[in-house]
Amino acid sequence: MPEPFDALAVDLARFQATHVAGYGRLCRARGAAPSTFAVARDAPAVPTEAFKVSRVASFPDREALAVFRTSGTTVGARGSHAMRRPATYDVAAVAFGRWALTTGLALPLPVLALAPPPDEAPDSSLCHMMQLFIGTFSGSPGTPDDFFLRDGILELAALDARVSSAMVARRPVLLLGTSFAFVHLLDAVGEAGFRLPEGSRVMQTGGFKGRSREVDAGELRSTLASALGVDERAVISEYGMTELSSQFYEATGRDTSARPGVLVEPPWARVVPVDAETLEPVPDGAVGIARIEDLMNVDSAFAVLAADRVRRVPGGFELLGRFPGAPPRGCSIAVDEILGPS
Amino acid sequence: MTPLERVRTLVEAAREVAADAGVVAPLVLSTGLSPEGVALALHRCLETHPTDDDLAALVGRSSPARSVHVILSANVFTAPLRALAVACASSPAVTVRPSRREPVFTRALLARTANLGILEVDANVAAITAGEVHVYGRDETVAMVRAAAAPGVRVRAHGAGMGAALISERADLEAAARVLAEDVVAFDQRGCSSPRVALVVGSPRRGERFAALLDAALGALSRAIPRGRLDDAEARDARRYVETITFAGLLLRGETHAVGFAVGPLLVPPPGRHVHVTVADTLATARACLQPVERLLVAIGTDDATAVQEIVEARVRICQLGEMQRAPLDGPVDLR
Repeated sequence: MPEPFDALAVDLARFQATHVAGYGRLCRARGAAPSTFAVARDAPAVPTEAFKVSRVASFPDREALAVFRTSGTTVGARGSHAMRRPATYDVAAVAFGRWALTTGLALPLPVLALAPPPDEAPDSSLCHMMQLFIGTFSGSPGTPDDFFLRDGILELAALDARVSSAMVARRPVLLLGTSFAFVHLLDAVGEAGFRLPEGSRVMQTGGFKGRSREVDAGELRSTLASALGVDERAVISEYGMTELSSQFYEATGRDTSARPGVLVEPPWARVVPVDAETLEPVPDGAVGIARIEDLMNVDSAFAVLAADRVRRVPGGFELLGRFPGAPPRGCSIAVDEILGPS
Repeated sequence: MTPLERVRTLVEAAREVAADAGVVAPLVLSTGLSPEGVALALHRCLETHPTDDDLAALVGRSSPARSVHVILSANVFTAPLRALAVACASSPAVTVRPSRREPVFTRALLARTANLGILEVDANVAAITAGEVHVYGRDETVAMVRAAAAPGVRVRAHGAGMGAALISERADLEAAARVLAEDVVAFDQRGCSSPRVALVVGSPRRGERFAALLDAALGALSRAIPRGRLDDAEARDARRYVETITFAGLLLRGETHAVGFAVGPLLVPPPGRHVHVTVADTLATARACLQPVERLLVAIGTDDATAVQEIVEARVRICQLGEMQRAPLDGPVDLR
């Protein structure tokens, strides 16, 4: 029997309170003695901004085998998430990625990434994850040629060649990409579209961050499905962030009753909407900011306070964007703008 | 009237408003500041006694325009004086749209300047076909106005900004903290030149000592000038800042203020009397530290203006500590 979530969470919180100096301070300031923690929610969450201004790790710098960094914004520092054992991240990412993205598909299959290759973005957790998926689901270790964004430019001809090969071989593909990369793809192919082989799936993640025109999530899904010749349910949204070791997906690719827009947690993570001021959980169905409890964040922060608004719904949670930063008026710069998206 | 006479008329009206005790209560309601905060703004921050040189500079900075429509924001309620002065220096035909949240001060000024003929209008920007539009507000507002403006209409925009303080290695820390607290308390830190971060040149120990002195100064000042109410967004961001700095460094918290200290990248706290203090071992390091927020910087308060001139662009106003909310009436506060 696996240990209950709360027991593992409490163990992790106690470990981190002892070995992560900032977390110990946070617990003391909140009057939360780790020895009294009974359930996960007893332990304070670490705001994502802490990853930008301090080290969030239970081990010395020299022991880090991987350091992932946030993409940064026009202003403000980049956050970083050091990992002593990235294998933990890898195992979790592949296990839940397999569940959400490949159920019902015959593996191996071609996995193509609309993202820069890891050598161009060595500290991007997203590129690392895509590399993992390529290596695991395609049956080959993967090369930079599996990535189709170079210096911010979409390599459409190379992508077209790979998709055509798969089409001839009648093999579905798994196409991974960020929202803005997909918008660039849509803009590049225009009305002609860009059909994928039958049965293909698409994973789209992340926002736009000023790198393309912005498109509403629902509109992007339907436009992508239409342009790529796949069912809308085969366009699967992923939600993740550098500060976490787990990801969340829509279940539309594996469950005919799953609703688009509803994200599902793996068994080792929970998303709890909390009041932005009290940090207490809000009633079911109410909107709060995301307190994300991630048991894979062994050496950093098992509970992370994201800046995104979420709402629990049957089957999972919905992502509702961010609160506008203070102040809502005037010329004094809003904190949201300063901190920017992770 | 000449442009200078129009500006002087406005300044005279501002003096009358400041002397009118009847405006305090409505301003408390519209601004969220405490009565003491409103009084501080009226009597210490409102530019009621500009020098001739300042006014000449203001007029000199303005270029003639056929007409000017001014769109105001709400965060610093005394700002309409400067905005209207800049507009009146450019044109005898001025219209204004006060902030919907805080129209009290603008209307009080207009009531005392009937001879200037400034009209309050809720104009559709697209319907303005000539002259200038001066817009003060969030970047989104500025972008909307720019997009809506008709060809040939010049838009002068003053978007989001913030202030910073730089405490030199020679500074008397106690005195610097005391006067910086005055800059923070004014308008409950909602101004585009309000200091949100303080860089202390020197060791971490010196930075921590400055943070403690600033905490004490803000605590003392809060007794005389209580903070007003925070809106929901400010309260949310305040809680987030408190949690973050508790993790990342040292939090010193009073009933209505917080000072955070951490060595490392700048963290910008929300308005509402929250100051983030960090250290730089040299001026060059200070410059690097400020770089991520450079495009947002409207003003730097410092005890060493000469040194600061070397590390910031000319468009950033350099002020003495304690004078950040008392920029001379020599043109827009925001020179970006």
